[in-house]
Amino acid sequence: MATIGTPVRRREDFRFLTGGGTYTDDINRPGQLYAYILRSQHAHARIGGIDTAPAQRSSGVVAVYTGQDMTADGVGGLPCGWQIHSKDGSPMAEPPHPVLAVDRVRYVGDPVAVVIADTLALARDAAELVNVNYAEEPAAIDPVAALQPGAPQVNSEASGNLCYDWQLGDLAAVESAFAKATRIVRLDLANNRLVPNAMEPRAAIGEFNRATGEYTLYTTSQNPHVIRLLMGAFVLHIPEARLRVVAPDVGGGFGSKIYHYPEEAIVTWAAGKVHRPVKWTAERSESFISDAHGRDHVTHVELALDAQGKFLALKVSTVANLGAYLSTFAPAIPTYLYGTLLAGTYTTPAIYCETKAVFTNTVPIDAYRGAGRPEATFVLERIVDLAADEIGMDPAELRRRNFIPKDAYPYQTPVALQYDSGDYAATLELALKAADYQGFESRRREAMGRGKLRGIGIATYIEACGIAPSAVVGSLGARAGLYESAEVRVHPTGSVSVLTGTHSHGQGHETTFSQLVADTFGIPIDNVEIVHGDTDKIPYGMGTYGSRSIAVGGTAIVKAMDKVIAKGRKIAAHLLEAAEADVEFKDGKFTVAGTDRSRTLGEVALTAYVPHNYPIDELEPGLDETAFYDPKNFTFPSGAYIAEVEIDLETGQVAVVNFTASDDFGRIINPLIVAGQVHGGLAQGIGQALLEGCVYDKASGQLLTGSYNDYAMPRADDLPTFALSTNTTLCTHNPLGVKGCGEAGAIGAPAAITNALVDALKPLGVRHLDMPATSEKLWRTIQQHRAPIAAE
Amino acid sequence: MQKTVSLTVNGKPVSATVEGRTLLVQLLREQLGLTGTHVGCDTSQCGACVVHVDGEAVKACTLLAVQADGHSVLTIEGVATGDTLHPMQEAFRNNHALQCGFCTPGMVMSALDLVKNNPNPTEREIREYLEGNLCRCTGYHNIVLAIAEGAAVMRGEPAPNVYGTAAE
Amino acid sequence: MEMTGEFRIPAPRQRVWEGLNDPEVLKQCIPGCQALEKVSDTEFNGRVVASVGPVRATFGGKVRLSDLDPPQSYTISGEGSGGVAGFAKGGAKVNLAEDGAATLLTYAAQAQIGGKLAQVGSRLIDGVARKMANDFFGQFAAVMVPEQPAAAPAVERARVAAEAAPPVPPPHPMSTRLPPAVWVTGLAVIIILLLYFFTR
Ligand code: FES
Ligand code: FES
Repeated sequence: MATIGTPVRRREDFRFLTGGGTYTDDINRPGQLYAYILRSQHAHARIGGIDTAPAQRSSGVVAVYTGQDMTADGVGGLPCGWQIHSKDGSPMAEPPHPVLAVDRVRYVGDPVAVVIADTLALARDAAELVNVNYAEEPAAIDPVAALQPGAPQVNSEASGNLCYDWQLGDLAAVESAFAKATRIVRLDLANNRLVPNAMEPRAAIGEFNRATGEYTLYTTSQNPHVIRLLMGAFVLHIPEARLRVVAPDVGGGFGSKIYHYPEEAIVTWAAGKVHRPVKWTAERSESFISDAHGRDHVTHVELALDAQGKFLALKVSTVANLGAYLSTFAPAIPTYLYGTLLAGTYTTPAIYCETKAVFTNTVPIDAYRGAGRPEATFVLERIVDLAADEIGMDPAELRRRNFIPKDAYPYQTPVALQYDSGDYAATLELALKAADYQGFESRRREAMGRGKLRGIGIATYIEACGIAPSAVVGSLGARAGLYESAEVRVHPTGSVSVLTGTHSHGQGHETTFSQLVADTFGIPIDNVEIVHGDTDKIPYGMGTYGSRSIAVGGTAIVKAMDKVIAKGRKIAAHLLEAAEADVEFKDGKFTVAGTDRSRTLGEVALTAYVPHNYPIDELEPGLDETAFYDPKNFTFPSGAYIAEVEIDLETGQVAVVNFTASDDFGRIINPLIVAGQVHGGLAQGIGQALLEGCVYDKASGQLLTGSYNDYAMPRADDLPTFALSTNTTLCTHNPLGVKGCGEAGAIGAPAAITNALVDALKPLGVRHLDMPATSEKLWRTIQQHRAPIAAE
Repeated sequence: MQKTVSLTVNGKPVSATVEGRTLLVQLLREQLGLTGTHVGCDTSQCGACVVHVDGEAVKACTLLAVQADGHSVLTIEGVATGDTLHPMQEAFRNNHALQCGFCTPGMVMSALDLVKNNPNPTEREIREYLEGNLCRCTGYHNIVLAIAEGAAVMRGEPAPNVYGTAAE
Repeated sequence: MEMTGEFRIPAPRQRVWEGLNDPEVLKQCIPGCQALEKVSDTEFNGRVVASVGPVRATFGGKVRLSDLDPPQSYTISGEGSGGVAGFAKGGAKVNLAEDGAATLLTYAAQAQIGGKLAQVGSRLIDGVARKMANDFFGQFAAVMVPEQPAAAPAVERARVAAEAAPPVPPPHPMSTRLPPAVWVTGLAVIIILLLYFFTR
């Protein structure tokens, strides 16, 4: 039975629903000790000295280590995986990133020392006795202010706090288009800083086996092999063969669990010192100040249009906050995952983008769901909406006029990407119909009668997913390849284990990948086992982020299955005494074409492992194949989102009354899982637009939104029921035709919501609103704009 | 300061020696090995730790282990009957109401509490009830569907089967 | 945060000034005050234990006086640290004006909080700090009023009882998953601590 395209219930659910999941903090190793990490309470200070002696003497304490101890032991700094070059060709500033701060702390949360004790409570008690002599210094918090002359200097290696000043696109072409334009629309906007907040806090357990010299790290990671490579090669200098990294069940990632974090190196290194396993689990308030944050851009954008409303050119200038240090993939986010997406779904012929990336005394910033693409989409879809308003055109019509037509593929954008497929106009029409766009004005009037300002907002998006062709990203500065691996191991009885380099932390790979295998091999899903997350089991793989698992990881599985089938045909031909060319594989059977002579996959597998009657001169025994797949291009999911909101005129209270999402994800393997991915992305996107915002005290650098008291997470009653639909065009360069769906919602929703809010407030003369548009902000906006109206 | 507590957990009597400051969730996870109850925050807001104490939903991070002395605790591990899922768990599965699964135990325990007090909740009532349970993965859409389905089945009605998965 | 306040203390200005300068008096008025010592004429060190439920947090504070103009005004600045719980630092200008037989005390303080206190408690601190300031000055006024020492033992007893009450575990500033109330209390204590010193 074909399962692809059907809503197969998830195989992983049983264990999660019965409390049987194994998350890192659920693991306890014999003889385990606990680590408590002492963190800086200052945004910027010189460390005059650290006295650990009283803590060492404290009850139950096994060891106390500082940055000095780690440096003295030859521990390296945390590496950055991407190098960006500035306009002038110079490489980015890359200040050292010590695992534990050595002479200076640079953000509230910067790890300073680790106390290892018999229990967590004892470790914590002892941390109280560690005496750090801080000499506080002024801090650079606001990214724009940090670039001003005389601003406090975060890292001495980055003069003026500038990491790089990057550009993309043809400035001359853009300037000349601007000179000819009928209309230029300008906007200043910000993309608010977010805290990813996967519900499972990060955790890590380091273990050292004296007998074998092997280290094991259990960690909450989206990509165990990447952690093994970075930590083994750059930080702790442990050969890969003696380092095992296990990422068991992981409770959500959204990007925040991609990176190699200090705590992973600390527990692994410390386990080698104390010869006992060492466990660390973040408390939520620790997560707030130690998980990489997301977004935080300040942007000026200008769009040039001709008299018919055709976009002539786009010019974007962005200041991107990086925080205090370079997180693993941080430099790539506001550049190649951002500037390259500024064509969006439109034919804009000339685009120029420049990004100044700046260090500040705040938590490091890196990819968070969407990573660069939500920022690009927000910039583009806000300026397009504003343009529609300024020229008095329906925003849907303005978009239609500028869409890349469906017969234009492959389509080369002026910002480096080549789109392979899409049909943006049809997707938008689908959404408009589903949202009853036509009927909106009467709903607006009806709402007004109830004291509500109702608005409707459209956003289209495109994303580059399936990260990525290694050669392309290599030429753009990536220090890693971004292929994916899979091993398909057919067991003697015909059951199958798939070892994948991707990692599932909510995406349901155990189900989706099983569907692929079950359908291809014609075997029941229950005969397929998916293995991931353990570098001792799986082939070298790059993990899961950038909506890449099905497009890259799924394709690797397909390639490995192709190899299995090719070998199986040879074996079957031998068994059936037929020519290999005459043997076809279908529905789980190798059949001699035109006959009923066949062998099942299980029979062929058994023969492969018990090769009594076997073409042993030509073929090796066994039926176990590995494939590495390096994609030819990114995939380009796209979509059109329509939000409808109501704002209470008196209180500013906002409700998302309808949300329509129409997406093109290419082929869909499991619609149930895809819908779930969209829902989750939308919730995060709506959260960004209405609720979430990370606030630092601009002077002291204290994080003021450091718990769920102050950082507003979307809750069930903040969100609507979503209306989803799909319009499918197949990806042209992977065998499944899949594009990826993990980030879409977070990319398209912020602009759709903001456009709807601005539409609602248009009668008051509001032109733009920064996120998060909290009820308080809306109330103030209404008050401000009402006063002049009342006075008139 | 150590104290021995005796309580019933998932129908079985247990006793353990705890410190005065030990939280119920720590007792469950670390001493009794019941790691299905999760810890997602340190301000009692996420709901990942919800269990039932004497039939009432309680955030196990807000209760001291000593306060549970003599009481009866039900955790996610005690909800299914052998390999047969409770209708609420089944509904979560049918409606893809979990992704990473971290919030799930708390969600199910809260859902059961809701339905006990309100056997036929509306969508709005479900959303409002979930105020104390955070989920970062699902956008709540499918959790709301699942709780409605679980409630229906517990009332003896057929599952709404929104995704066409229930009759599998 | 910034905070201003005004209290009428039914005692002559000189006595108020002396009271605010007397560690023993202050100690009586600060809930959970474990130790308070005058390091020099212009410096105080203190330690306060705040306890909620099974959790106790110890906060140490240091303050310095300047611009002394007895018995009328001074500026005070200092910091309190609760270890991994966070810190507070700040300053206040305190003014004592004669108001008949009583004294009108006004202060304008700014405090900056850091670490976990800021992270978890910043939004709540204002109200709590204000309430604790009121409690402190209420108590201070009560201690100031009786000329005869009769009332003091009562206060003293209350304080001793409060100190004896918390459970025995060794002072560890933080325990797992501290309820926000502890933060806020701790935070407020620091700021109040500053204030008294300020108001000394
Ligand atoms: S752990 Fe978050 S509410 Fe209990
Ligand atoms: S399923 Fe991941 S937090 Fe709810």
